[in-house]
This record gives sequence, C-alpha cells and structure tokens, in this order.
Amino acid sequence: MKKTVARVLALAFACLALAAPKDVTIPFKLFKLKNGLTLILSEDHTAPTYSLAVVYNVGSRDEKAGRTGFAHLFEHMMFQGSENAARGEHMALITENGGSQNGTTDNDRTLYFETLPANQLDLGLFLEADRMGKLAITQSNLDNQRNAVQEERRLRVDNQPYGKTFEAVDDLAFDTFAYKHSVIGSMDDLNAASLQDVQEFFKRYYAPNNATIAIVGDFNTDEALAKVKNYFESIPSQPAPPRPDVSQPEQTAERRKQLEDPFAQFPRLDIVYRIPAGDSPDYYPLSVMSRILSSGQSSRLYQKLVKDAEVATSAGAFTGQRPGPSLEQISVTVRPGKDLAAVEKMVYEEVARLQTQPVEDWEMDKVHMVLRRSQVSGAQGTLNRAANLAETYVEYGDANLVNTEYAKLAAVSKADIQRVAKKYLVETNRSVVVTLPKARPAGRAGQ
Amino acid sequence: MRKALIFLLPMGVWMAWAQAPQTPPAGAPPAAKKEAFKNLAPVSKEVLKVKLPKAREVQLENGMTVLILEDHRLPQISISMDIRGGGGLLDPVEMKGLAGLSASLMREGTAGMTSKQIAEEVDLLATSIGGSASTTTMSSAFNMSGLSDNFDKWFALGVDIFLHPSFPADEWAKLKQRTLLSLRNQRTNPSFLAAERFDKLVFGDHPLSATSPTPANIEAITPEAMKKWHDERLAPQNTLLGIVGDISEAEILPKLKAAFGGWKKTDYKPVQPPNAPPNPELHIAIVNRTGSVQTNIVMGNVGIDRRSPDYFAMTVMNQVLGAGPTARLFNNLREDKGYTYGAYSRFSAGMLPGAWQASSEVRTGVTEGAMREFFNELRRIREEKVPAGELEEKKRSVVASFALSLESPATLLNYAMQRKDYNLPEDYWDTYPARISAVTADDVQRVARKYLTLDNIQIVAVGDAVKIGPILEKYGKVAVYDVDGKLAQ
Repeated sequence: MKKTVARVLALAFACLALAAPKDVTIPFKLFKLKNGLTLILSEDHTAPTYSLAVVYNVGSRDEKAGRTGFAHLFEHMMFQGSENAARGEHMALITENGGSQNGTTDNDRTLYFETLPANQLDLGLFLEADRMGKLAITQSNLDNQRNAVQEERRLRVDNQPYGKTFEAVDDLAFDTFAYKHSVIGSMDDLNAASLQDVQEFFKRYYAPNNATIAIVGDFNTDEALAKVKNYFESIPSQPAPPRPDVSQPEQTAERRKQLEDPFAQFPRLDIVYRIPAGDSPDYYPLSVMSRILSSGQSSRLYQKLVKDAEVATSAGAFTGQRPGPSLEQISVTVRPGKDLAAVEKMVYEEVARLQTQPVEDWEMDKVHMVLRRSQVSGAQGTLNRAANLAETYVEYGDANLVNTEYAKLAAVSKADIQRVAKKYLVETNRSVVVTLPKARPAGRAGQ
Repeated sequence: MRKALIFLLPMGVWMAWAQAPQTPPAGAPPAAKKEAFKNLAPVSKEVLKVKLPKAREVQLENGMTVLILEDHRLPQISISMDIRGGGGLLDPVEMKGLAGLSASLMREGTAGMTSKQIAEEVDLLATSIGGSASTTTMSSAFNMSGLSDNFDKWFALGVDIFLHPSFPADEWAKLKQRTLLSLRNQRTNPSFLAAERFDKLVFGDHPLSATSPTPANIEAITPEAMKKWHDERLAPQNTLLGIVGDISEAEILPKLKAAFGGWKKTDYKPVQPPNAPPNPELHIAIVNRTGSVQTNIVMGNVGIDRRSPDYFAMTVMNQVLGAGPTARLFNNLREDKGYTYGAYSRFSAGMLPGAWQASSEVRTGVTEGAMREFFNELRRIREEKVPAGELEEKKRSVVASFALSLESPATLLNYAMQRKDYNLPEDYWDTYPARISAVTADDVQRVARKYLTLDNIQIVAVGDAVKIGPILEKYGKVAVYDVDGKLAQ
C-alpha cells in the first residue's frame, strides 16, 4: 500500500503494448500467535539480509487532550532499555552487528524496524520481544528523551520556515481532537508527560494483540515462525485498547487562517479539502488526480504556476492516505511581489478544469507508467516490503492490499476523477492557510 | 509512504550507515544514568563474508569507460555517468555554478525537442533523467533510470538530452529567475548558513570554499558559456558510465556503442586545483539569525582525500567519535545531556582533501554546555587510546554492514564506480574488511591528533548572536555575520 505498491498482472492494460512486463507481486504468509500477535513472513533469498518491522496500532490519534506528542515521546522510550538489554544496548547491538534501525510515529501507527545480516535473526527478534514484554521505564530516561524530542520539535518546527504551517493546516481543517493536533505535540504537553502516563500507555497499547510483525528476507519460514513463537508467544495479551472517535462533523463553509512566519522568505498557500480514508473507493481516483496535478515537470501545477506564469517557486498536490478522515492538500510557494489572491484563483481554475473536463489520454498513460515504476521501486529492499506489509495490515486489516492497490489505482477512469473533483474539491469543504513572511526589524546584525 | 513521518533518528543517519564529562551547566537536566551492558542477547559471532559482484569493464573506442553490472531482481535499470572535468570546481571564478546550472538546463531543450516536450516524454516513460554538478567537485554527473519494460525509449531520450542540449535562451531566463529565488530561500535554512560560513573559514580563497553560487555568479552565466561547458568540459575520454539492473551484457553493449559511438574524443585533460592546506589559525564565526531558538554548531578543518593512506583509520576514528547514534558525540550530547536531537561527525574525502567536521543543533540555552562537550570529546579522542572493546565494536559495525549493501543495486554500482573513479586497486573491496579490521587504537589516535587539531580549529555557530556571542568569545576572537553573509561591525 502507500506509494510502494506491488502489482497484479490482470491490470497490465497500462502496458498492454509492451512485452509482458515482469510481475512484482510480494508473496507472504500470515500467522496469528496464541497471544493475538500477527506475524507476516516473506522469504527472499537474493541477499544475505532480513528486515524486521514491528507496527503497533497506536499513534497520535490515540493521545488524550493535554498529552499531545506522547505517542512519539513513548517511541523514544522504547530505545531506553528493557529487562535484558541495558539503556543504549539495543541500538549498540544492532549497529555493531552491521544493522540499521529506526522508529517512526505518525497519526495512526508506530513502527520500529531493523535490517540485519541474515545470521542475526535471533538478535532482532530477541530485542523486539524484550522491549514488547519488559520495557524498563525510569524517570531519568523519560526526562532525557523529553529533551531530545523537544529539540526535535525546535529543529523541525520552531526553527524552520513554514514549520508552524503544517500544524495550522490540521488544526484548521479538523474538528475532532484525534487528527487536529500534531504528532510532534506541544512543548507544554511534552513537559506534562509523567512516568505514570508512560506505564499506562505501555500496558494499554504495547501488547502483542495490538502489534503486527513482518519479516522479509533470507530465512526459512518454518524456522522463523518457530523462533517468533519462542520469543513472543509468552508475552501476555491485554484487553483491546479503546479506539478514539476520528469522525468529523460535516464542514459547511470555507475556513481561512493567516500566519506570519519570521523565517519564511516567500508567501505560501496551503489549500486543503477533507477526503475519506485511504482504503475507501474514492481514495483511488483522488490519488490519481493528485498525480495529474503534480507528478513530474509535465504536471499541470508545475507547468502553469512555476513554468509558464512564473508566479510560484513550487507547487504540489498530495492525497493523504490513512485509515481515518484525511486531506487532499495543494501547496504553493508564491514568488515575492505576486498577487496572492490571483495565484489562489489560478489554483481554483485548475480545480475547475478537473471538474468540468476529462483529463487527457496522455495524462492517464503517464499515471499508469508512474504507478508501475513506483510499484517496482517499492519492492526493492527488504525494509520497504516489511514496513509496508505490517503497516498495511495494521491500518486496513488486509496485508494483500500491497499487491492489489496498483490494480485499484490503474482501474480509475477519467469519469471517476471528474466525479471526485466535483464531490470533494468544493469551497464548503475547503480550508486555506496563508503563510506570510514576517517583516524583519530594520537594522543590521551584530551584538 | 504517502504521509509525513517523524523518526527517532534523522533519516540520513540510519540510511547512510552502510558507511571525561564535566559538571553539567545550570539549567541542564540531570545526566541520564549510565548502565553496564547486560550481554544477554543472542548474537552470532560470525561476520558474514561478503563478496561484492564484480562489474564488467569495457572501454569504448572514443575512450569512454563502461562498467556493467547485471541484477535481475527487479525490472529496473539505472545509469550513472561521472564526467571528470565537468564539475563546478573548475568553473571560472566569476561564473561559479556554471556547471550545475548547465547540467540542469540540459533538460530544458534539445536540437529536436522543447522543454515541455521533454517534460511530457520523461513523465510518460516514468523515467528519471537529469544532470547535476556541485560547486566543489571535479566531476559532473548525468543519471538516467527507469523500468526495463521501456528501456530503449527512455535511454534514447536520455542520450539525446546528454549529447544534444540546445541551452535555449528563453529557458535560461526562466531557470535563472527560479535559481535566484532558491538562492534567496536557502538563506532561511540555518544548516545552509552554517555550511556556507564553515566552508569559507576552512578553505579561505580556495575554490572548495564556494558552497553555493552567488546571485552575481548567476547573472554572469550565459547560454554561450553553457554551450562551451558542454562542448569542452564533457568529453568521452573523461567519462565513466556505470549501468546496473535488468540487462544482459551481450544486449546492452551494442546499444551503448551505438548511442555514444558518435561522441568524439577530444584533447581535454582536466587539471585538478592544488590541495587546500588546513587553515593554520583558529577562527570563530557567528551567523546572527534573529529569532533562532537553536544554535547550529559546526567545527572542523581540512581532512583527507579519498586515496589517502589514512582513509581506513579515519573511517574507524569517525565511527568512534560521531558517525551514528552509538558513537560518542550522540551518546554524550543527546543520550547523556539531552542537549539535542542529534550530534555527529563526518569527513568528506574526494579527489581533493575535504573537511572533517563535528556538528549539532542545540537549544540556545545549552550552547555553552554543548561547546564544552564537543571539546571534551575532541580532546578525549586525541589524548586517550580508544578502549579495545569500543574499537572492536566500531570496526565490526563497518565490516558487518557490508552485507546490507547487497540489497541495493545502486549501492553495488556506486562501489564499482568509486573504485574505478579513484583508481583504487582491483581487489579494493575484497580487502576492505581486512583493512578496516587491521586499524589499531594507535592508528585512531594518530589520525585524531593529526587532523582533529584544536589550536587551529574552525568554529561556526548560527543562532542568536546576543545570547551566544559571550559564550563563543571564551574560545577566541569572534566575527559576527548577518544572514546575508555580511560582516557586522
């Protein structure tokens, strides 16, 4: 799923004129352990390596008010030691044995992963099981990682041009808390996180029945299954965690917000429309539509705004994909001295064109080739595949979507695109954030 | 993945792997507790022996060198061209950026196609085609990649763009405006400001000091100069072309010969500028960025080139000091002190010696503590021998991670091209693990003392000058610049 999709051959009409393109279906087997843990195994013996992805079904949408940023802060705690691995030892063991690793948090899920040489399968499984079962939670670790996360916020948000624009967009477009607040969270909420919060969160969400493991690479399926059972099956399951309400009350009028940004040089327009979840039937035409608007230099927004009219330095469209309500997002960085209202109007002219005229044949051909290419490149490397399989299962309940999503995208018709453009890209479903450079105080630099 | 993600570690750190504390200052959190490792995890002691596939090397009649690597795992093909002499390091001083912009403009018109036609054709074929050239390298690059489904079509298009660009004046007028705006925009980025000032301190008047072209450089560039760049500085005898993917040598070689056969050999022999010596005196510069909530600290000096005999020892030294999240800088500044999201060291070794550097972004209030810990770590690696266990871990991580490169055709091609480009021995990658393993604690200390010299270190801090000025002054005389690069009085 996501942009890394694998293909089903029945959909070869995109490339019908060519000699049978190679199939890149990702084979896998799915198992359920006694404690509810889901395991996905996909053998690939082309390199002496494997990747292990562990996805927990928890993200910033599960946070409570006053604790924004907590899911991500907790992710950092998972690297601070467990019963059989001291603080720092997990990372050191992966690294010194030639592996790479990371963790990432978004609105809906938290992913941990490592890639290692194939002879270290036990190592990866042992470490993941140890922290799933017996995480070491201490006040000093919490305080330390709170600092690291707050620096991450400063680095990415508070010290960067347009850093706060991203937060403003979600805040404006959504009404329900789950998706209204940012994954990185606020400084005050990060400061408020307590040791008790960490313990409760761990117990509630980091249980085997709330996790999916995918392993892709150079191993034998029966042996790997036995090892996973050995390391994980004794970890007790917990009651299914409550799920937050992600539904949004209907939007009835356009929303607008203007920000001043002390670091930005150019104005920026973010125009977003609410859209349904990433496995809904309308997601697929919306996703194809975004590619027509902004995939490559031949795309409509680039040609019109950046190249011909020369009113923008960049312009893009993006269809968000997640298991709950999401956004179709058009972002334009406007050249200085250009009339912002006129640029915004040009964007709406492109929207109207999508609504009133079918897209052209060559644009559909282009999208089909772009999809095929991203399907192929997404199948490269064991980590891509492992993360994709585990995430897709957690978010949509069907790991095989990684193999069928291409078909769903390739089946989109011109009429579908027109229909979704008319349905979603309307003024009453729109939120607009305008970011303006803040005038600097006059005077020269220096002490 | 079609969503915005945040990570435990910066992307570059985990992706790029295949390569005596004082009292904390007031206001800092208590240092997190250090724990002894438990050594309970099951580890295979064996390090997988990895043999990289050898690329087939062929010399075309016009002098172009070709490396072919078959990899049939997926229906895709990548071509990388390295054109010695085409890089921005050799640009005329008044036209810095000529190579990079010429390489970009190649896609905006050929003898037979307009910019828009090229854009549509590239996207219709789902190929990636484009040239690039940094201001600080001897070579320019031209890369093309795509599916094996339609290789013949995109390869023909790529070759046409490479051999027959028209450098249209109207497209240059447009690209010039876009470039001038992006030069302006990059000045909002604190890491760019730090890199720009650091390169100026380290390299002085040497051509390596130019991180980026200036607006005046851009204004001086003309389509005629670009044509001249293409005709004179791109030549087959100086070109290394690597191809990897779903191809067979027997099929691809005639195609390469047909495509490039008409490209005529010339007499052009690029002359490399002399090496830049390390800056002999200590310099400290602050770039005053009003409103900064962090200080971007970078420090370092001139290090080594890619062929240096110290390359292996430097690699291991860098692993110990700051190459990743288990190295000393990260452990100290992030995991122990909580000053930052990350602290790292690296060294860049190309045809000419590049810089080694240590860097971090820390909140303004802990700038003093961060500076102290940088110096503590630099002194420690210079003055104390690396303990045996730590040395073994770091060497093992380099050697064992070799297996991971076998997943990526692009990495395998890159290894093959690096070997050829730097004229390294035929068995270079076969002996690489042994050379890394042979590095001793004495070697690490020797290169640390030789290159990580403190009495002439170059230090840049981007941040709030009023708050951090007095802290930096404790290390020496400070020059303050504004974000436009002008020296403040």
